[in-house]
Amino acid sequence: MWHRLRALWRNLTHKQIVEDDLAQELHSYQTMLADEKSRAGTDPGAALRAARLEMEGMEQIKENVRDVRLGVSIETFFAELRQSWRGLSRNKGLSILCSAMLALGIGATTVVVSIFYAALVQPLPFRDSDRLVEVHESRLSSGIDKAAFSEANFWDVRAQSRAFQDVAAFHYDEANLTGYGLAEKVTDRSVTANFFRTLGVSPVLGRDFSSTDDQNGFDNRVVILGNQFWRSRFGADPDIIGKTLRLNDRACVVVGVLPPGEPWINDQVYQPFGYRAGADRASWEFTVIGRLAPGVSLQAAQADLKEVSARLDKAYPGTDKGIGFSFTPAGNWVAGDNTRRAFWVLVGAVSFLLLIACLNMANLLLARGTARQREIAVRIALGAGRARLIRFVMMESLLLSIFGTLLGLALAYAALRGLQALEVQGIPRLADAGLNPWVLGFSVLIAILTGVLSGIAPALQTPAKDTANTMRDADHQTGSRERGRLQGLLVTAEVAVSFLLLVGAGLLIRSFTELMNVNLGFQTDNRLVFSVSMPKSYYRNGAGSQFEDRLLQRLSAIPQVVAAGAVSSRPIEGPDPGMSIVAIPATHSGTPGPPPWAGWRFVSPGYFHAVGLPLLRGRAFDEHDKPVEADRGQAAPPRRVVISQRLAQLLFGTDDAAGKHVDLWGNGNFDAEVIGVVADSRERGPAAGPTLTVYLPYGRNADVSEFVLHTRGNPLAVAHTVRAIVAELDSNLPVTGLRSFEEVVHRSLSAQRFNVILLTAFGGLALLLAVTGIYGVLAYAMNRRAAEIGLRVALGASRTNVLGIVLRQGMRPALVGMLLGAVGASWLSRYLETLLFGIKPFDVFTYVTVAALLMATALLACVLPGCRAMRIDPAGALRME
Amino acid sequence: MNNHASASTALLQGTLDVLILKVLALEPLHGLGISRRIAQVTGNTFQVKPGSLFPALHRMEEAGWLSSNWGESENTRRAKFYRLTKAGTRQLKQETDQWVRISAAMASALEMS
Repeated sequence: MWHRLRALWRNLTHKQIVEDDLAQELHSYQTMLADEKSRAGTDPGAALRAARLEMEGMEQIKENVRDVRLGVSIETFFAELRQSWRGLSRNKGLSILCSAMLALGIGATTVVVSIFYAALVQPLPFRDSDRLVEVHESRLSSGIDKAAFSEANFWDVRAQSRAFQDVAAFHYDEANLTGYGLAEKVTDRSVTANFFRTLGVSPVLGRDFSSTDDQNGFDNRVVILGNQFWRSRFGADPDIIGKTLRLNDRACVVVGVLPPGEPWINDQVYQPFGYRAGADRASWEFTVIGRLAPGVSLQAAQADLKEVSARLDKAYPGTDKGIGFSFTPAGNWVAGDNTRRAFWVLVGAVSFLLLIACLNMANLLLARGTARQREIAVRIALGAGRARLIRFVMMESLLLSIFGTLLGLALAYAALRGLQALEVQGIPRLADAGLNPWVLGFSVLIAILTGVLSGIAPALQTPAKDTANTMRDADHQTGSRERGRLQGLLVTAEVAVSFLLLVGAGLLIRSFTELMNVNLGFQTDNRLVFSVSMPKSYYRNGAGSQFEDRLLQRLSAIPQVVAAGAVSSRPIEGPDPGMSIVAIPATHSGTPGPPPWAGWRFVSPGYFHAVGLPLLRGRAFDEHDKPVEADRGQAAPPRRVVISQRLAQLLFGTDDAAGKHVDLWGNGNFDAEVIGVVADSRERGPAAGPTLTVYLPYGRNADVSEFVLHTRGNPLAVAHTVRAIVAELDSNLPVTGLRSFEEVVHRSLSAQRFNVILLTAFGGLALLLAVTGIYGVLAYAMNRRAAEIGLRVALGASRTNVLGIVLRQGMRPALVGMLLGAVGASWLSRYLETLLFGIKPFDVFTYVTVAALLMATALLACVLPGCRAMRIDPAGALRME
Repeated sequence: MNNHASASTALLQGTLDVLILKVLALEPLHGLGISRRIAQVTGNTFQVKPGSLFPALHRMEEAGWLSSNWGESENTRRAKFYRLTKAGTRQLKQETDQWVRISAAMASALEMS
C-alpha cells in the first residue's frame, strides 16, 4: 500500500523525473541491444538500426508504460480536460454558441421540471395522504358527477359510513378583519373540529381545534391562522396565541397556527363549526374529505357509501333523489386530470427542445471542420487508443454541457423567480417550485445525458484506423462523405422534432385565439367589477339590501358610469351555485330527460344592462319585483325570475317563455313566474360551454356582493371614486377584487396562456436551432464542395445551377425532416386533444402554417452559403485542391 | 495503447509476472538481461518484447514487488537494475504455489480426456 501511494505521489508530482528515468532506461536497453548485435558481428551503425527496428518504436513503449502507471487515469483525465478546455477556448464562438443552446434547453427543462415537481410529484403535506379522499355528492341521472355536499348530508355520511377513520368538512367563506389598521377581507374557512386531524397536520404553534370548540354550531370564537397569513399579517409573531382578532365584528381568540403547505391549509383563518339540528339539505356548499380506515380500499369505501346513499335517497326524496357519492383521491387534489395532461405535454415539449439542442450541438461539433480530424489523426499516430479518443471527444461535449447546465440553472432560477413574481395563475403550488435537490439531481442527469448524446456522433466519427488516409484527407478540403451524410441525418431529425414542437405550439395558439374570440354573452369592454362583502349581520332586517340600493344609486350617479348593477356571484371568477328547475306544468314542448340544472344568481334590476346581456323576451326586473316578506295571513307575493335563452329552450321549447311558470329547486315549493329571457352567457369562463342560468331579483335576505359598472372610457379610471363612495357609506366594508372585466377573462385563461407562451417559446427556440443546424451543415458541405463547384462553374454552370446545388443539399434533409415531423405530429397530437378548444388535433391550417414556416426557415439558412457558393471563383477554388 | 496486447500475450500476462519474479529471485538484472534470461530458462519459448516487458516491470515496481537502481552492466553500460523486494519474494512464493496447483489441475484434466 505504502509503495503504491509513494509511486502515485511520484507519478503525479515528479512527472519529469519519472519520464527522464524511463527515457534513459529505454535508451540503455537500446544501446545494450545494439552492443549485443555488434558483438555478433554486425557493424555498429547497422546494429543500432536493427535494435531500433526490433524495439518497434520507443514512443509506443513509453506510452505502454505510462498506461500502466498508477494515477494514469487521473492524470490523463486532467490532461484531457486541459486539452478540451484549450480546444474550446480556441473556438470561442462555437463554444459559446453550444453552451448557450444547451443552456436554453436545460434552463427550459429545469423550469418545467421544477414546476412539474411542485405540482405533481411533491408529496402533500399530510400524513399517509394515500388514505385521504375528497368525497362528492353526485346526481348521475342529472349528469352531475362531483358536486359539493349539503350540510345535513355530510352529518349523515359522517354518522353512517363505516369505511372511514374520520370524515371532515369545510365551508368556504370570507370575513372582515377589523381592528388591525384598514378593514381587510380575509378568506375564512369554517371547518369541522376534526378537519386538521383528518388531514394529518398539526399546528406549528398552539393547538388544534378540540371537540369542545364546536359546541355552538357555527358560532365559536376561536380561530387557527394559516401560516402565510400569520407571517405576512402578523410578522410571524410567536406570541400570537391567545390574542384576539375581530372577525365580522366578533372577538375571536387565536389558538393555533398551521404549518405551510397546499392545498386546503393555506387559507387565512379557520374557524370551527359543529353539528346543528335542522341543517340544510338542499344547498350544496360543503367540501368533504375522508381518511380511509387502515386497510380499507377505495372500492370498499365506495360500496359502503352506496348503502348510505340508498338510505338517504329513501329518507329524503325531496332533496336526495338519485343521490350518490364519488371520490377524488388525494393525489389529484393539487392538479386535476387536465392540468396533469397539460404538464405532461410541457414535459414532452421541453424534452423535444432539449433533443433539438443536443442534435444541434452534435451537428456543430461535427461541422467544426477538418482541423479536429487532423488533430485526432495525429493522436492516433502517436499511439492513442480508440477508447481514449472517444473519451477525449466526449470530454469536450461534456464540458460544454457543464457550462450549459450552469448557465441553464441560472436561467431557470431567474425564470422561476419571474413566474412567481408575476403570480402566474393556474399553476398549482407555483410558489413551491424551486431548484430543490430533486430538480437539481434531475438537471445533472440531464446534463450528463446531453453531453453524452451530443458527443456520440462526433465520437463515432473518430477514425479507427487508416490514419494515413485521415491525415491526407485532412490536408485537403474534402473531408469524409460519411460525415456529410451524418450531418444531414442530424438535420433531418432536428427538423422533424421542430415540426412536432411547432405543431403543438400552433395547435395551442389556435385554441387560445378561439378561446379569446368566444362569445361570452357578457360585454367585457369598459366594464369594472369589484366586490363589497358584508358580514352576515348586515343582512338582518334588510339592512344589507338597503345599503346595496344606496351604493348602486351613488355608483350610477358617477358621471363616467353608464350603468351599474350587482349580482350575487361574480361571472367567471365566482362560484356557480345551482338548482334544478322544472317547467310548470311539465310541458311536452321542452326537451325530455331529467330536469336541467341551472346556476342561480340574485341580481339588481340594472344588472343585465350593466353587464351587457341583451333581453330577448319579456322584461327585466324592476323595483317592484324585489321579494318582500308576506304579511301574516296573506298569500305569498309572486316570485319572478328571468332565465337564459338555452334554459328557456330546454324548458319550453319554441314557446315564448315569458309568462310561463317554473318550479325552483324542483321540489314543488317554489313556484315562480318567468318574466323575461336574456341571452346566454358563459358563467364558468370561455373554456366551458354556455351555462344555464336563473336570475332572481335581489332584496331582503338575498345578498349581492359583486358590482359591475359600465363606464365610458377606461373602467379603472373610476376605481378611486368607487373606493371613496364605499368608504363614505360604510368604512368597515373593504372593496376587493377590483379589476376590469377584461382582466377577469384574462385571468381565467392564465393556465392556457401559460401553456401557449411556453410552447411558443419552445417552438421559437426550435426554429432558431433548426436554422443554425441547417446552416452549419450547408456551410460545411459547401466548403467541402467548393472545388467541385468551382469546376462546374469553369465548365459553364450558371449561378442558378450553383444555387440549385446548394438548395438541394440544404433542403433535402429539411424536407425529409418535415415529412417525418408531419407523420409524427399527426400521431402525437391526439394526446393534445383534451387541451384543444374549437379545433381538431389534425388542424390542416396549423400543419400548413408550420410547414411553410419551417420551409422559410430552411431557405433562410441556405441564403448565406448559397450566396457564398455563387461567388466562388473557379480559378481560386481549383487552385485550392 | 497496447499494440502488443494480442490475444496470446494477454493470456500470458500472469505468466510474465511469475517469470520476471523467478529470474530476479536469482540475481538483480536489467531489462535486457531479464528478457534474455527468460528466453534462456524457457528454452526460447517466451520472447519478451520491450513493449510488454517495461510496462510489467514498472507496474510491479509500483506494486512494491521490485525495487530498482541504476548501476553498471557487465559491458560497462549504465543500466537500471531490478531486484526482488521482500514483498516480491512473498508474491513469487504465492504465485508459484498457485501455478503448481493450476498446472497439476490442468494436467490431470487433460489426461482424463
